Amino acid sequence: MAHQTEMSHHPAPAEHAEEHPTTTGINNRKLLMWVFLSSDCLFFGSLIATYMVYRGQSLVGPYPVDIIDVPITTISTFVLLCSSFAMVRALAATNEDRQGAILFWLLMTAFLGAIFIGFQVYEFNLFRTEGLLISTNLFGSTFFTLTGFHGAHVTLGIVWLLGLAWIAKKGRLGPKTALDVELAGLYWHFVDIVWIVIFTLVYLIGGFDTGPAGDPSLVPHSITGFLGLF
Amino acid sequence: MSSDPGVHESRHPTLKQYVGIAIFLFVVTIVEFVIILPVDFRGAGWTIAPLAILSAIKFAAVIFFYMHLKFDNRLLTWIFLGGLALGFAVVMALVGLFAAWTPGLRSYAEDHAKPCTLDHEYGGCLEDRIAAAPPSEPATEPAAASAEAPAAEAPAAAPSGLAATGQQIFLTGQGQGAATACFTCHTISGLSETGLLGPDLTHIGTDAANRQPGVSAEDYLRQSITEPEAFVAEGVERAVPGLMLPALTAGLTDEDVDALVAFLMEQK
Repeated sequence: MAHQTEMSHHPAPAEHAEEHPTTTGINNRKLLMWVFLSSDCLFFGSLIATYMVYRGQSLVGPYPVDIIDVPITTISTFVLLCSSFAMVRALAATNEDRQGAILFWLLMTAFLGAIFIGFQVYEFNLFRTEGLLISTNLFGSTFFTLTGFHGAHVTLGIVWLLGLAWIAKKGRLGPKTALDVELAGLYWHFVDIVWIVIFTLVYLIGGFDTGPAGDPSLVPHSITGFLGLF
Repeated sequence: MSSDPGVHESRHPTLKQYVGIAIFLFVVTIVEFVIILPVDFRGAGWTIAPLAILSAIKFAAVIFFYMHLKFDNRLLTWIFLGGLALGFAVVMALVGLFAAWTPGLRSYAEDHAKPCTLDHEYGGCLEDRIAAAPPSEPATEPAAASAEAPAAEAPAAAPSGLAATGQQIFLTGQGQGAATACFTCHTISGLSETGLLGPDLTHIGTDAANRQPGVSAEDYLRQSITEPEAFVAEGVERAVPGLMLPALTAGLTDEDVDALVAFLMEQK
C-alpha cells in the first residue's frame, strides 16, 4: 500500500518508480496497465457480443452490404498497423536515447492514428448521408457503438501521444523514463488489436450481410465501385 | 540501476524483428482482403474460419512482439490472456443465450424486414421514398395530369389505378404475389435509374408496339414478363439472353402481370 501512495504523488520522471521493488517483480504502473487492458477486453467483448447478437436482424435498411466499404477500411487498417510500427520505433528510440527520433516517431504514431480517425470520420459521415444513423436500425446502433468506442480509444491515444511528444520535445524522455513511452505503446497496440478483431468481424465477415429477407442489390456496390477504378 | 533485476528485465525485439512483424501483418491483411475479393466468396460461411484464424494470428503477433509479452514477465501474459478469455466467454455466452432463449428473433426479422436499395441521392432506401411518394401525389395531381400533361413530361408522377399497382410491383416486387423488384435491373428515367443490368424501359410503352410484327404491345409485354426470353429484342442495349431468369417473375399472379403491363404501357 505504501508504494501506491508514494507512486501517486510521483512526478513525471519515472526512474524512481522503476527502481521500486514489488512483490510481483513487475513495475506497478506496468501491472496496472496490463490489468486495465485485460479489463478492456471485457468491455469490447460485450460490445462485440451485442453486435453479433443483433447481426442480421435489422428490420429496415440500409443493411451492411449497402454501405460497408471494405477496400477503404482495408486502407485505414493498414494505416493503423503502420502506426503500431511507428510506436515500437518510438519506444526503441527512447531506450536508445535518440532524442530526435523519439519525437519523430511519437508524432508519426499520433499522425497515423489521426489519419485512421480521419477515415472513420469520413465513413461515419458517409453513412449519415446515406441514411444510416445510430437510431436507424440494429445494425446502425451496434455498428456505431462498437466502432465509435474504438475510435474514442484511438482519440484518447492520440492525446496521450501528443502529450508524450511535448515532454519529448523538452528532452525529458530517455532510457530512464522509457516506461512512460512503453505504457502508451501498450495502450496503442491494444487499440490496434481491437481493430484487428473489429475489422475481421464487422467488415470482412459481416460487411456483406444483406437484410434478413435478402436484398435486391445482389452485388455490393462499394466493392464493384472500387474495382471499377482499375 | 535497479537493485531488483526482475523489475525491468524485459528485453525487446530487434529492429529487424519489428520490421519482419510489420511486413507479416501487412501480408496477412492482404491475404484476408484477397479471400473476400471474389464476389462468390463474400459473406460465404466458409470464409469465417480462415478469416478468424488469420486475425487471431495478427492479434498474437502484436501482443507477443509489439507489446513484447513474449519477452516480459510471464504473469503479465496470464493477466492479459485471462481477461481475453473472459471477454471471449462473454461473447460466447451472450450469443448462446440469445440463440437459446429467443430463437424466434431471426425468423421474425426474416418475416418483417423491408428490402432496401440504397438511395444515393437522398440517403436511406429507395423503397421508402417510393412508398412515401404515391399517396400524397395522386390526391392532388391525377385529374389534371391525365387530362392535360403528356405522360412523357411527368414520367415520375404516380400513375393511378392499375398502373399505380404496376409501379409498386416494379419498385418493390410485391404484388399479390412476389418477384424480384424489376427496378433492380431495369431503369425508367425519372423513376429509378439504378438498374443497369437489363434493357432500359423508359420508352417501352412506345417501343413494345413495334418490336414484334403481329404481336400487340400488351401481349409483347405480358409474354416478356412471364417468359423473359420469348422475344429477345435486337439492337436493344443490354437485351442479353440468360440474364432474366423466369424464376424472377414466377411468383407474380396474372393480376400482377396485368398491372405491370398497364404501368409499362404508360412509359412512352
